[in-house]
Amino acid sequence: MADTLQTPPAASPAVERLQAPPAAARFRFLTDRKLATLFIAPALALLLFLSIWPLIWLIRLSFTDYSVTRDVPASFIGLDNYVDVITSDQTHKRLVTTLIFVVGAVGLQTVLGFTIAYLISRRMRGRGVLTTLFLIPMMLSPVVVGLFWKFMLDVQFGVVNSFADSLGLGRAEWLTNQKLALFSLIIVDTWQWTPFIMLIALAGLTAVPKYLYEAAEIDRASEWFRFRRITLPLVWPLLLIAIMFRAIEAFRLFDLVYILTGGGPGGTTETISFQVYKIAFFGFDTGRASAYGVLIVIVVTIAAQLYLRYLNRLQER
Amino acid sequence: MKGKLSKVWAAGCVLAAAAVLVACGSSNDNGGGGGSAAKAAETKLTDKPLTLTFLWFEWPPAHALEELGKEYTKTRPNVTVKVNTVPNPQWHDAIFTQFAARKTNFDMPILDSQNIGEAVTNGSILDITDWVKKNVDTSQYDPYFLASYGQYPQAQTGKANPDAKTYGLPLLGDTWSMIWRKDLMGDTPPATWEDMIAAAKKCQQDNPGMSGLAFHQAGSGDAAAVTYNVLNALYGGELWNPDDRKIEGVINNDAGKKAMHVLVDEMVPLAPKGSSNWFIDEVNAAISQGKVCVGFQWIAAMGGLLDPASSKLGKTKEEILDKLAFAPLPKQDTDRVPLGGMGLHISKYIPADHQAEALNFIKWFQTPEAQKKWAQLGGVPARNDVLNSPEFLDTLPYNKVFTESVPRLKDFWNLPEYAKLLNVHTTQVNAAISGTQQPDAALDKLAKDEQAILDESSH
Repeated sequence: MADTLQTPPAASPAVERLQAPPAAARFRFLTDRKLATLFIAPALALLLFLSIWPLIWLIRLSFTDYSVTRDVPASFIGLDNYVDVITSDQTHKRLVTTLIFVVGAVGLQTVLGFTIAYLISRRMRGRGVLTTLFLIPMMLSPVVVGLFWKFMLDVQFGVVNSFADSLGLGRAEWLTNQKLALFSLIIVDTWQWTPFIMLIALAGLTAVPKYLYEAAEIDRASEWFRFRRITLPLVWPLLLIAIMFRAIEAFRLFDLVYILTGGGPGGTTETISFQVYKIAFFGFDTGRASAYGVLIVIVVTIAAQLYLRYLNRLQER
Repeated sequence: MKGKLSKVWAAGCVLAAAAVLVACGSSNDNGGGGGSAAKAAETKLTDKPLTLTFLWFEWPPAHALEELGKEYTKTRPNVTVKVNTVPNPQWHDAIFTQFAARKTNFDMPILDSQNIGEAVTNGSILDITDWVKKNVDTSQYDPYFLASYGQYPQAQTGKANPDAKTYGLPLLGDTWSMIWRKDLMGDTPPATWEDMIAAAKKCQQDNPGMSGLAFHQAGSGDAAAVTYNVLNALYGGELWNPDDRKIEGVINNDAGKKAMHVLVDEMVPLAPKGSSNWFIDEVNAAISQGKVCVGFQWIAAMGGLLDPASSKLGKTKEEILDKLAFAPLPKQDTDRVPLGGMGLHISKYIPADHQAEALNFIKWFQTPEAQKKWAQLGGVPARNDVLNSPEFLDTLPYNKVFTESVPRLKDFWNLPEYAKLLNVHTTQVNAAISGTQQPDAALDKLAKDEQAILDESSH
């Protein structure tokens, strides 16, 4: 009988370290670090020349009285453009309009988006088809959305008023009444961008571990309890990120305003971006428009930073 | 690793900063003022295929111009005329952003007459003063057309400025026409503006479901602005005092305020609900659908009113004409009517052969034959002989409205600040129309903001 019990060797045999064959002489200069730099160089160049350089140029122009159309060199005027923008009545009004729009639109989109996502997440059959259908508005160009909503909301021949009239509710001036015009913008933006919140909320809802619900069911927790103590706390951070993205986008709103109301009636739906457009392209006050742009960037950056700090604290809890 | 990556970032930032400094150091390579057509005039016309491109806004005369271009091609077989169009609110932007880039994909921008100042002071269109003197007989034009559609600085109303230079020649004359339902209101047009309002009100009361008036009210382009300016002029007001560049105290004087009150308190209540964003298309649609008793529209945009395919007023043109009648605007304290229309200009940023071709087109366009063809296609010519010819007067039933209106025309300012002034003008008038601001407050703010624009400008 063979002796199968063998004492293992005291020391394991030396393992031969594998070494890469030496690089060909002509490629020896390409170290790993240099190769890494080369690979990120195109993306870096794009970032520098499409984002960083225009931003630096914008900042420079904001301190001048430059106009792209006038054949006069730019003169340095210090902070005059910034003072004009910050102290202007128009800026304050447009800021208020923009904030009302952002809070209204993003709030409504969050409630609707999350509700739709929650309902879809409860279904098993047809979930994919339903999700795709709900995503369609988001795929459309904002200009196209604005155009057909403009027709739909027309007082005289719009389908919305025809429907309302048939129900005995009369015809509303959706785009020409001071009180309704901004509300109409909020509705149209909500129609288009609720799917964005829905998508992110759906991702968060489907990621909630099932065992938590099972455990709650065992403990005979109510539906509301499960929603309040399990679903919402776990989806909330993801929802906040979606809200942040939507808020930044809503703050920059231009295309819907341009198509639907043109800033009217009487300039009451002019947002900050629309105001910048007018300064930049009606008067070609490039310097002032640049200052406006820089201020918008600063405001959005500060707001985003504060928001992200709150988000981080939430996630640490 | 960190150190080396920092060096990469630092190198990138230095590159970006260097690029900025290079860009900062570069100077404009164009002098001030419009370029001269002298070089273009000396350039021989090419035999090679060439596309002569116009840029206009989307409306029927743009299509008529492209159709007319085929006539030009008969004289110059190697040349194709193409008219690119943009929506009206983007008309100014589309042209001037290309001027800002110092490179245009159009040869001949059709500028609103009021934009000439901005184009000239930015040096974007050719000065054709000397060329016109040698090549075009301008004696057939009303001096006001020459002044309004091509000269800068613009002369006072009705007079040409002998010291002004010429940057374009008339392409399209235009003014407002009154269109009314003669089957409901009778054949005789109202004599005064107040008579017109009264007649429209009665028509509205007698015909439930119809509104009394349809007119431009939108807060974009020059829609609401022109409407107010019509009333301002009719009630004896002025937009500004050019001698001392005063707007505040001029436009919002008693006449100006009266005009605003007539607009807001008497005309707006007679317009269809929700029409405070109406411009050319909406007014045409309201008239064609039989929803209004009286409408006001630019003559050049009225072609579709007689088209049975888009009208509920009749199955044939004759049936429509049994219901619609056309007349110049009623008078009030004055008899002024708005000057519309545009001139032909040449971009400075195109090759010399294109500029030469553009000059040749302008020369051809000013001939009586081309003008008559233009009239037949629905354009409104500016030559006096053609304006009074059967070829123009008999082509469309409302053409005589323009001919009769020529002595009464009144224009805006064509200052370089026009686009900024117009923005304030139309927004504030729309604010008053839509009830966002009280009429007097809207007019006072209009005057204050426009005065600030003029005071701030260097001109």
